[in-house]
Amino acid sequence: MTKKTWKTYLLIAAMLLPSLILALGIILTPMISVVIQSFQDENGNFSLEQYRFLFTDRMALDNLWYTVWITIVTVIGAIAISYLLALYLRFCDTKISKFISTLYLLPRFVPQLVAIYAMMTVVRDSGLLNRISQLFGYNFKPGLLYNAKGIIMMNLWFNIAFATMIIVAALAGIPDSIVESSRDVGAGKIHTFFKMILPLSFKDVMIVMTFIFMSNISSFTTPYIIGPNHPKLLGVYLRDQFSRMRYERAAAISVLIFAFSSISAVVYLYTNLKEKEWEKTGL
Amino acid sequence: MSGNVKLELRNLTTLYKSGDGVRNINLTVNKGELVTLLGPSGCGKTTILRTIGGFIPATSGQILIDGKDITHLQPEKRPTAMVFQSYNLWPHMTVYENMAFGLKLRKVPKNEQKRRITEMLELVKMTGYEKKYPGQMSGGQQQRIAIGRSLLLQPDVLLLDEPFSALDAKIRSQMREELRKIQTDLGITVVFVTHDQEEAMALSDRIVVMNKGTFEQVGTPQEIYNHPVSRYVADFIGEMNFIPMLDGSTKAVRPENISVSHGTGKDLDGYVRTIMMLGHYIEMTVDTDIGIVKLYITAEEAEQYKKGDPVTLTLGDYRTYSDHQSAAK
Ligand SMILES: Nc1ncnc2c1ncn2[C@@H]1O[C@H](COP(=O)(O)OP(=O)(O)O)[C@@H](O)[C@H]1O
Ligand SMILES: [Mg+2]
Repeated sequence: MTKKTWKTYLLIAAMLLPSLILALGIILTPMISVVIQSFQDENGNFSLEQYRFLFTDRMALDNLWYTVWITIVTVIGAIAISYLLALYLRFCDTKISKFISTLYLLPRFVPQLVAIYAMMTVVRDSGLLNRISQLFGYNFKPGLLYNAKGIIMMNLWFNIAFATMIIVAALAGIPDSIVESSRDVGAGKIHTFFKMILPLSFKDVMIVMTFIFMSNISSFTTPYIIGPNHPKLLGVYLRDQFSRMRYERAAAISVLIFAFSSISAVVYLYTNLKEKEWEKTGL
Repeated sequence: MSGNVKLELRNLTTLYKSGDGVRNINLTVNKGELVTLLGPSGCGKTTILRTIGGFIPATSGQILIDGKDITHLQPEKRPTAMVFQSYNLWPHMTVYENMAFGLKLRKVPKNEQKRRITEMLELVKMTGYEKKYPGQMSGGQQQRIAIGRSLLLQPDVLLLDEPFSALDAKIRSQMREELRKIQTDLGITVVFVTHDQEEAMALSDRIVVMNKGTFEQVGTPQEIYNHPVSRYVADFIGEMNFIPMLDGSTKAVRPENISVSHGTGKDLDGYVRTIMMLGHYIEMTVDTDIGIVKLYITAEEAEQYKKGDPVTLTLGDYRTYSDHQSAAK
């Protein structure tokens, strides 16, 4: 490596300056002002009132736990389904798996609103499923709208494609001979999964988890359209407070959402930066 | 005789959906024998090995080890161990963990594990590498560990699929020698796959020469070298001159079985084309009516010739192949 003098560092700093200023201007400034605002009461005086409210008010707490709960169920559900799907795509070489592998990315290409309304026409209590069941003399009401089930189902629809894509790539990076040599020395399929495949794809799973967590903790469109009136997801609650011109409380909610995202961002950075011993090559 | 047979393939056929594969393979491998499957890339060597290991199902036929039919067992239930061309070791485990994995599955006690691993590392000359990860070792070192890991489980049959082909020439020949030594010392039965005829000649008790999914010839290295049953085998093993005859048949002569003298009138006339020093012997090529003929001569002989000299060749020990490739002396 060439030795860098303080002059080169200065040059680098000078070249980075414009983008740095821009970043400060359009990201940091509003963020700081939101944080400041969240620590104010209606009259602009410093106060912890907004946070006190969010953590003590019955409705606000409901919203908070509801959001966390739905997000965690979404993360776990999406990862579990995606991992199984990815395993199937990676290790089963059948016509069906080939067919699925060409299709599973489809949800990525359907705009969110279109997907939500399409889903609604299918699953609402007078929707397609209901009509089909009536043909057979039943009156099946899925009961998926305006409650957690509907939001989670929609979240899964949006996230499974993405999660599967990443996990498929991770599994594709595991050579067959690694799996085969494990079977060869006497490990069954389950043992091979837990001792070889899972550890070798764990990092990618963690990364997908943080991504899904971050994008779902602040979700808005889905719960706004098909979510219940109470409890509300934080994103909807924020807009709700905003439209009632409770700007300080809205600010506090967004700080809260940001705090949740930061936790998963830290997990993300940690898993990404922490190179396990075996990932370093000593040669 | 049959009490000595370790592995037997009976009419084994393994076909892929594409129709490629191997057909009607019959082979017996004796206890402690090292048999090599030799043939060009794509002839089905790996397919046979993977069928024995249980990684692809046999389409028909049987695989027997010690007389027991293992054709339909899962790989983890077979008394075989396989070493692949590369990526054998589990990258997230240390050398020690790699070696202990199979022993743990077999519920070998901890201290017994340690004793056996230490012993094996000594045998494959990798003592002191216990805590290293595969990514921190060279390809040759990784293959030593991979072989050691397989041997540790005392398999009935060890399967090696071009284990040295990713290594450079010098390490390759060194590994070859060590493998041969370990194999004879421990008396293990090995099926070895390679496309390198030199490697096959150096290592094997017997060689199976393969051609497009079938066996062309099975025999000791000497038998195969001295009595190739077909033109294909003759061409594949060692250097060979093919000299077309007027009756449509072909004479096959090894370069060391041709002698040269000045003048004309022996079996073949021509002109010296090149004289090349190749280590301890010298290779001469001669331009003749039927093409270029290659022969080996000594240094003293070489001094008597220069490029362009008219020479005549005497064909010593040769074999004749008619068009349909069967051999006749
Ligand atoms: N998984 C597979 N699916 C379909 N055809 C295969 C597969 N593996 C190998 N083949 C084909 O089978 C033949 C034998 O292959 P292989 O046993 O790998 O040859 P070798 O090891 O001698 O190079 C080749 O024609 C190859 O293209
Ligand atoms: Mg092969």
